[in-house]
Amino acid sequence: MSNESKIMIKEKIISQIQSGDVKMKPKYYFVLGSLALACGIIGLTILSVFLVSVVAFSLRTHGPMVVFRFEQLLATFPFGVVVVAIVCVGFGAWLLKKYDFSYKKNFQLLIVGFIVSVLFAGWLINYTGLDSVWTRMGPMKEFYKRYDGGAMNGPHSRIMQVRNYRRN
Amino acid sequence: MNDVEKLSDEEIVEVVRSRDQELYAVIIDRYQNKLLRYAKNLLKDDSKAVDVVQEAFIKAFINLQSFDVRMKFSSWIYRIAHNEAMNVIAKYKYELPIPEGVDFESEEDLVETFSKEETREKVNKCLLQMPMLYSEPLSLFFLEDKSYEEISDILRIPIGTVGTRINRAKILMKKLCQTNQK
Repeated sequence: MSNESKIMIKEKIISQIQSGDVKMKPKYYFVLGSLALACGIIGLTILSVFLVSVVAFSLRTHGPMVVFRFEQLLATFPFGVVVVAIVCVGFGAWLLKKYDFSYKKNFQLLIVGFIVSVLFAGWLINYTGLDSVWTRMGPMKEFYKRYDGGAMNGPHSRIMQVRNYRRN
Repeated sequence: MNDVEKLSDEEIVEVVRSRDQELYAVIIDRYQNKLLRYAKNLLKDDSKAVDVVQEAFIKAFINLQSFDVRMKFSSWIYRIAHNEAMNVIAKYKYELPIPEGVDFESEEDLVETFSKEETREKVNKCLLQMPMLYSEPLSLFFLEDKSYEEISDILRIPIGTVGTRINRAKILMKKLCQTNQK
């Protein structure tokens, strides 16, 4: 490698800095980037948990006779929500990989932990009956009703109430 | 200028960011030879190596505010050069093929037979024949004198993987160099 090309690198870069062709990005640019990344991960996690809870809710509200009402289940099952949930989890995992620390950890374990946490939180919402509360109040009331199989309000409601009573 | 020479990379970065952008020339002086050698080992092409290093210095300057001064600047700038070199490789899609008939099952302790000083010369020659997966960590370890932790930071792979790749690279290097000598 010639000394000439080495000197050229330095001169070229310094002259570009002096002329203002090459400018340093301000600190807030990176702070905002980090904030956006953190918000993206938190937002996607919340959305994924919510969507998993919607799927669990839909399955639960089809009641214990779900096999006999398979067609109804298929008709109202939130397949779109499942797809969006999978995309959200995948995007969340990709965002996690963007963080600098991710290569120092066992990334596969990190992703498995993330997915298990999302599924567990979704199940917990279903188990505690929080989703049933959301069908009666709150901004997602109409959304939940779309996926309500009716077992909680219809002829199966008594069975479900007895099952929940025994469970508690 | 002598006072500047005594400053660490991280301290110079702090001054460049806050007061004197032209002090970036000191950083260029300190790293251009090392980065040129590193890029040349990756790309096997002098002129592309110059382009990569120049681009790496420019990108490092543009993103200097994102550098955390508690970390090592050398790992950071090597990481940028690595990314630039990978972009060039992807663009031109050239890569040496993995030699056939090479296995990595040997349990032989090669640290004994391949001490750093003895092999520096050998490594340089053999690197050209090795696939990049192994040649890159090996060149960082032997030629750039980087620790496993620094290589892990540069290549963004776990330290355990760095160790595995370097050990495999040593075996591969031994086989390749012996083949050449015959």
